[in-house]
Amino acid sequence: MAEHDLGEIKVRQGDTVIALRKARFGEPVVYAAPAAVPAPAPVAAGAAVPPLAEPVKDEGLVAIKSPMVGTVYLSPDPESPPYVNVGREVDPSTPVCVIEAMKVFNEIRSEIAGTVERILVQNEQAVEFGQPLMMVRPRV
Amino acid sequence: MFSRLLIANRGEIALRIIRACKELGIQTVCVFSEEDREQSYLRLADRAICIGSGPATESYLKIDRIIAAAEVANVDAIHPGYGFLAENAQFADACRDSKIEFVGPDAESMRLLGDKIAAKKLAKKAKVATIPWTEGNVEDDESAAKWAAQIGYPVMIKAAAGGGGRGIRMVHNEAALRHSLPAARAEAEAAFKNSALYMEKVIDAARHVEVQILGDRPGNILHFYERDCSLQRRHQKLVEESPSPGINERVREELCKAAVGLARAAKYHSAGTVEFLVDKKGNFYFLEMNTRIQVEHPVTEMITNHDLLQWQIRVAAGETLPMKQRDITRHGVAIECRINAEDPANGFRPCPGKITEFRPPGGFGVRLDTHVHAGMTISPRYDSLIAKLIVHKPTRAEAVACMQRCLDEFLIEPIQTTIPILREIFIHPRFLKGDVDTGFIERTW
Repeated sequence: MAEHDLGEIKVRQGDTVIALRKARFGEPVVYAAPAAVPAPAPVAAGAAVPPLAEPVKDEGLVAIKSPMVGTVYLSPDPESPPYVNVGREVDPSTPVCVIEAMKVFNEIRSEIAGTVERILVQNEQAVEFGQPLMMVRPRV
Repeated sequence: MFSRLLIANRGEIALRIIRACKELGIQTVCVFSEEDREQSYLRLADRAICIGSGPATESYLKIDRIIAAAEVANVDAIHPGYGFLAENAQFADACRDSKIEFVGPDAESMRLLGDKIAAKKLAKKAKVATIPWTEGNVEDDESAAKWAAQIGYPVMIKAAAGGGGRGIRMVHNEAALRHSLPAARAEAEAAFKNSALYMEKVIDAARHVEVQILGDRPGNILHFYERDCSLQRRHQKLVEESPSPGINERVREELCKAAVGLARAAKYHSAGTVEFLVDKKGNFYFLEMNTRIQVEHPVTEMITNHDLLQWQIRVAAGETLPMKQRDITRHGVAIECRINAEDPANGFRPCPGKITEFRPPGGFGVRLDTHVHAGMTISPRYDSLIAKLIVHKPTRAEAVACMQRCLDEFLIEPIQTTIPILREIFIHPRFLKGDVDTGFIERTW
């Protein structure tokens, strides 16, 4: 897990499931697919994602843009509530959604401090690189 | 047949693949970088997915993003085009591991043929002659100098992991050799992540003649004759034609047979090209095999009347080739000019910029493969190919006359292009006689 900078792994073989989760104080959890996936190293929570926010001219809102191609999920898992709702205060490190690609889930952080004003994508929607996911009113 | 296919490329080849798919009833998904967002050909695909910012390393070379796009779009296959990841065995594996077909050969064949040293050894096994060479990598400068002294200068230093005309240096004496070896190693390491080098004797006044092959999965391999690509500058082709004006029917037959034999030995399927050097006496030597569709494939399409791109997709989908070798016949002469956004009067420096006028030629026997049109901007970031202009006529003289008038008609403003030098080539007496070799362009201009 340390080698690939993973926060959580679930390995399933037949009826046996082994789940490992790193307890990191104050940090939200990331989960990755079973180790059998021959994919390039997954991006973990805490991996630096370059800031993508760009001012939207007319409204003063800043977009959180997707840094990758994949499927967006608005909650950490189907049983949990969404990461954020409209009106939620966020900090740069606040996770706002996960994007899944090749069975690896990547947590997307806000990168800006402010309030979530619009959520532009639906749960399980396919997103492309650079696609605006949410609009945030920056905190002055 | 595939229902949906993703094109992991850009520009004219992306458009070529979209067209081939549409005719086959295959839905198309095209990836693009942010810099290519406004490209018109994207609107011809059923879906377009942005995979990264401008630099190829951030987009067209990003295996994980391309596979992710293929997954969200739920495609059955990926066509890599040429360049970028087309000859990347890791990419081919990644596609197939994700249960997506890769339109091309097996990763194993790609690895074997991508290693130029291994490929030469395969040629030896298949009894195909190779240029006298070091029979393995250059171990050290001393043994390199010894070999070169024995075989005679000039010699070529080549990168084992190279290809596409890159990583090649010619040296004329021992001092130059000793000077170039460390630089060549460093260059190979940087460009191909592999510093292994080999050396070859330089064949004087040779023609570059390549054979188009196509194989299906059960192992039927056909050739579609040859293309003469001797007109090159710094190992980049400017003009290609078929049939080769420099070989006779006997050499043609042997060349094509050798190419098929080599492809068979490599257990090859899909489209591929076997490259040879042919000397003045008609002796030919295996150079390398390219495990992809090539830029100049239209030349072969015109003379054989076969859509190579569609065949390539069909065999990838598991179809068996319905024809036999004797069914592949050739007619007339086809010539292709590559039109690049480069200034031949200024060292061929790239000329990116917005195109205000684009008036292409047309008429009987003219084919133009291009993604370019007026109003679009040529990016400095990608290769400078603007268009492929192909003519097809019953005789070489007619094809040359047709190309001359097409080059006169073709208007591209305001950027500089290679049209002026192509015009000069097409009136040069040596070219008109069909009497050129790979050094012709660099000696003459």
